[in-house]
Amino acid sequence: MENSHIVSAFDDDLNNLNMRIEQLGNLAKERFVMALDAIATQDEKILDQIIKGDKELDVLEAEIIQNAFEIIALRSPRASDLRRVVVASKIASIFERVGDFSKNIARRTKAMAASGHETIPDVNIGRMGHMAEGMMNDAMEAYHNLDTKVAIDLRNSDVELDHMHTAFYNEVIAMMTDNSKMVGSGVHLLFLGKNIERIGDYMTGIAEEIYFLVEGVQLDDERPKADKSSSKLS
Amino acid sequence: MQKYLGIHISNEEIESDTMSKAEVHTDTVGDIYVDDARMTARKVDVFYGDKKAIDDVSLDIASKEVVSLIGPSGCGKSTFLRCLNRMNDTIDSCRVMGTIALDGQNIYDPSIDVVPLRARVGMVFQKPNPFPKSIYDNVAYGPRIHGLAADKAHLDAIVEEALQRAGLWAEVHDRLTQSGTGLSGGQQQRLCIARAIAVSPEVILMDEPCSALDPIATAKIEELINELSAEYSIVIVTHSMQQAARISQRTAYFHLGKLIEVGQTKDVFTNPLNQQTEAYISGKIG
Repeated sequence: MENSHIVSAFDDDLNNLNMRIEQLGNLAKERFVMALDAIATQDEKILDQIIKGDKELDVLEAEIIQNAFEIIALRSPRASDLRRVVVASKIASIFERVGDFSKNIARRTKAMAASGHETIPDVNIGRMGHMAEGMMNDAMEAYHNLDTKVAIDLRNSDVELDHMHTAFYNEVIAMMTDNSKMVGSGVHLLFLGKNIERIGDYMTGIAEEIYFLVEGVQLDDERPKADKSSSKLS
Repeated sequence: MQKYLGIHISNEEIESDTMSKAEVHTDTVGDIYVDDARMTARKVDVFYGDKKAIDDVSLDIASKEVVSLIGPSGCGKSTFLRCLNRMNDTIDSCRVMGTIALDGQNIYDPSIDVVPLRARVGMVFQKPNPFPKSIYDNVAYGPRIHGLAADKAHLDAIVEEALQRAGLWAEVHDRLTQSGTGLSGGQQQRLCIARAIAVSPEVILMDEPCSALDPIATAKIEELINELSAEYSIVIVTHSMQQAARISQRTAYFHLGKLIEVGQTKDVFTNPLNQQTEAYISGKIG
């Protein structure tokens, strides 16, 4: 897989595709970290920057998919080359979706800030955020190094984020039960938590794509899951 | 050691008729065997003088399948193809070892007459090579020498059917007496295919049949190969990997005289098992 192509322009195309995926991944992570910080600071300027800046990720995703189409049309990639092109398209769409989650976090944070609460209720969202950020780092490392071990560990680690989300969900429900004035913010917080939990799910998707890229077969075992929030009433 | 039509064959190999269907040790990656083998090659070595051109190749060809042989120039794929109907007999320095069987019968057995063998295992070459005769006579030539037609009406029917199957009838039915060499390249190649199928072969060998054709003529040949595979086994040597991917059910990759890997075409082109195969089909320096 590491050998050079006889037609070096093909290597240039694939390297360019990889570079753009990493660029998109870094941008998605940067926006997510900004969104996490802004939950605490409620810095409107930063929040607007995240919301407006989401378009950059959309454009980058579209460019990557266009590049992938061109490589398929012009280079007729086969075997691992073909997997690389197809997987790049799918990973691009995943990182673009992460951008959507960050934008949604920013919008809901703005809404909570506008509701008059000076600070976001003291619930443990930062821990989830750090965990998701770490998973994004692992996803990019696994992609960069085509490291299936890192990918599999990443996939298995999502169960921890699921546990955190279930605990977070209970925490917010309890807060809303104790103080009915917090129901509005509480609903936003539940969505914030869910967005972060979903980012973890999407990173496991990237891990599975990397495994397929390297091995040529799908990971066949069931991924461990532990998010119980969707099966609860309270 | 015997010599038969310029081919040296070891007695040991000739006598080991049971070997034709036997499972043998092989370094080839993938499954060389099929359930309904029409042809079986077992431990085939081919020498041109002292030079070993084919090294220990074993492979089954199934009924009604298209198998592509791919690999870089000089890898032995055409040599192997030509072994399947003893076309290498014409090269005096050529020695073929091992067993190649058609329907269980070793085709290198001294009792085998190569003329009917080459009717059963027909061949289409890289460059269209119609006889300098009429379109009709090109197709009728084989049935005539093999005595396949009872009378003129029967021969007419054989010629028409062969041209129909080769997808050429509509284009030539009103000029059958004109020279075959006056057709376009693509038509000439389809005429050669009609000539091959007029003698009701079981296997058709094709050695880069589209390399001299434009994309439209190529597409017509590929469509024809697909249709013919409902009745015949087809083994095709091609340098076009897209062509191998489009038309064959199985693909065999040769390198330096060895059969490196064989498998379902969709597997070979999406997830080959051998690094050399991967490097070749991906256009990498292996």
